[in-house]
Amino acid sequence: MPSSSAARYKSRVTYWFKTGKYKDIMVMAASLVGFIALWWIASDIANTTYLPNPAQVFEALVESFQGGNPQFGILPMQQNIEASITRFVEGFALAFAVALPVGLLMGYLRFGEDIGRPIVEIFRPIPPIAWVPFFLIILGSFWGPIWTIFLGAFFPILSNIIFGVRSVDPTLLDAAKTLGAKRITIFTKVVLPSTVPFIMAGVTIGVGIAWMCIVAAEMLGAEGGGVGSYIQAENNLSNYPEMFAGMVVIAILGIVTLGIARILEKQVSPWRGKK
Amino acid sequence: MSMLSIQNLWKKFPKNNGETELVAVRDFNLEVEAGEFICLLGPSGCGKTTLLRIVAGLDFQTSGSISINGKIIAGPGSDRGMVFQEFGLFPWRTVLKNIEFGLELQKMAKPERLKISQKYINLVGLRGFENSRPYELSGGMKQRVGIARALANDPAVLLMDEPFGALDAQTRNLMQKELLRIWKETKKTVLFVTHSVDEACYLADRIVVMTARPGTIKEIFSINWERPRDRASMEFAALRKKILAELELEMDSSSTSIKDSGSGD
Repeated sequence: MPSSSAARYKSRVTYWFKTGKYKDIMVMAASLVGFIALWWIASDIANTTYLPNPAQVFEALVESFQGGNPQFGILPMQQNIEASITRFVEGFALAFAVALPVGLLMGYLRFGEDIGRPIVEIFRPIPPIAWVPFFLIILGSFWGPIWTIFLGAFFPILSNIIFGVRSVDPTLLDAAKTLGAKRITIFTKVVLPSTVPFIMAGVTIGVGIAWMCIVAAEMLGAEGGGVGSYIQAENNLSNYPEMFAGMVVIAILGIVTLGIARILEKQVSPWRGKK
Repeated sequence: MSMLSIQNLWKKFPKNNGETELVAVRDFNLEVEAGEFICLLGPSGCGKTTLLRIVAGLDFQTSGSISINGKIIAGPGSDRGMVFQEFGLFPWRTVLKNIEFGLELQKMAKPERLKISQKYINLVGLRGFENSRPYELSGGMKQRVGIARALANDPAVLLMDEPFGALDAQTRNLMQKELLRIWKETKKTVLFVTHSVDEACYLADRIVVMTARPGTIKEIFSINWERPRDRASMEFAALRKKILAELELEMDSSSTSIKDSGSGD
């Protein structure tokens, strides 16, 4: 449709006003402003280098993109971001690629569950971060952080897929059978599409956990930089505004990836939650 | 030879203690002619749905046999189409794609598939909704999709498990009328499970009244009135009364209830 984006924007604004949603938005904005104000006040009262105020952090954030600190091996922020995102994508893709077939098998076949369940139950309670030292020793600083992300994202995706396969509406299975579907076609044409919303829910949860894992892993050691490495390096130099700037970057990246996952979730299964 | 033949059918379920058995269907025998509209009527839990599921191939009998055109059936097959109370539509598929599901499984070429699905979309009155998703449709429209999907496979027998039970009274009456029109156009044999006496009297050539569990045939009522039938007529009321009386006797032996209304549960 031509001129739709302007029209859509206008209709959305009218919608906000008509439904009183603008009030929610104003309160949310006020909450954000209030938080920054509180931070500023706390920083003034504490009056310590460990807690810089928002302006100092913002300044450090802007500067972090301009060349880094080469004599201490600190890369410019954009290179750290690139390194972290690459690691995130690699670890996450690996987790998804393994969790999908394993989850489908464990959900669909009884013996699949009998084989997988004990192993999964042993590994699930171990926080991925606890693996970091081991991974760094065994796998080195390139693969170590990637495997940490893998572990962080793997279990939420896996358990959501298993749950999804088990939650398939039995009437749909009956309907497919009466229409001539056999075991394999039931799987590909009914079980798999039914599971999509659950896969996406697992992905969304996995994204959040993966970001926490990546920072922790990078702080302990990662080859080729990363936002976590940046935080650690600036901390070692007692550059606290820079350290906080790194944290802000992590927060923003986390929000953006989660946002993408949520949009994807809606795109892939618009029928979710509707009868 | 009749087209659908159910002979000496028994269905027993093991009870929780593993020893005694629960008999759901007891020695059920029925011969159905091609093009006949049969209603299975009985109190809740009488085994009528179990019976229908066995005919569909979704459950298996403990003993006895079912044949269609002389061929013994075992498991589901495209010679039987089923319509479910809860619709059972695939929510990720459009109306058109739902109706084409069975044809896809037969590996039919796309143009041919489209021709058939379009024919049934027109038949059930869903033209213009081809690309809608099930969640965008009302209950009555969903069941139109369910009927079209079952018919697209061109089954010999259409099995309907309380198909209008989830609909409101007005929609239900309309759908009954629509079903009779579709039945006349397609000349299908229909096996229709209901617990509504009114619905059975309105639709059926023969009403098979079942006993309380273990379910077997109590009595068969043949109705050869013209359609559409007048619910307000004397004879309609008389038949309804007679069947209700039969069912009440059954209710005395089981604590379940039966309704004489178009409203469903």
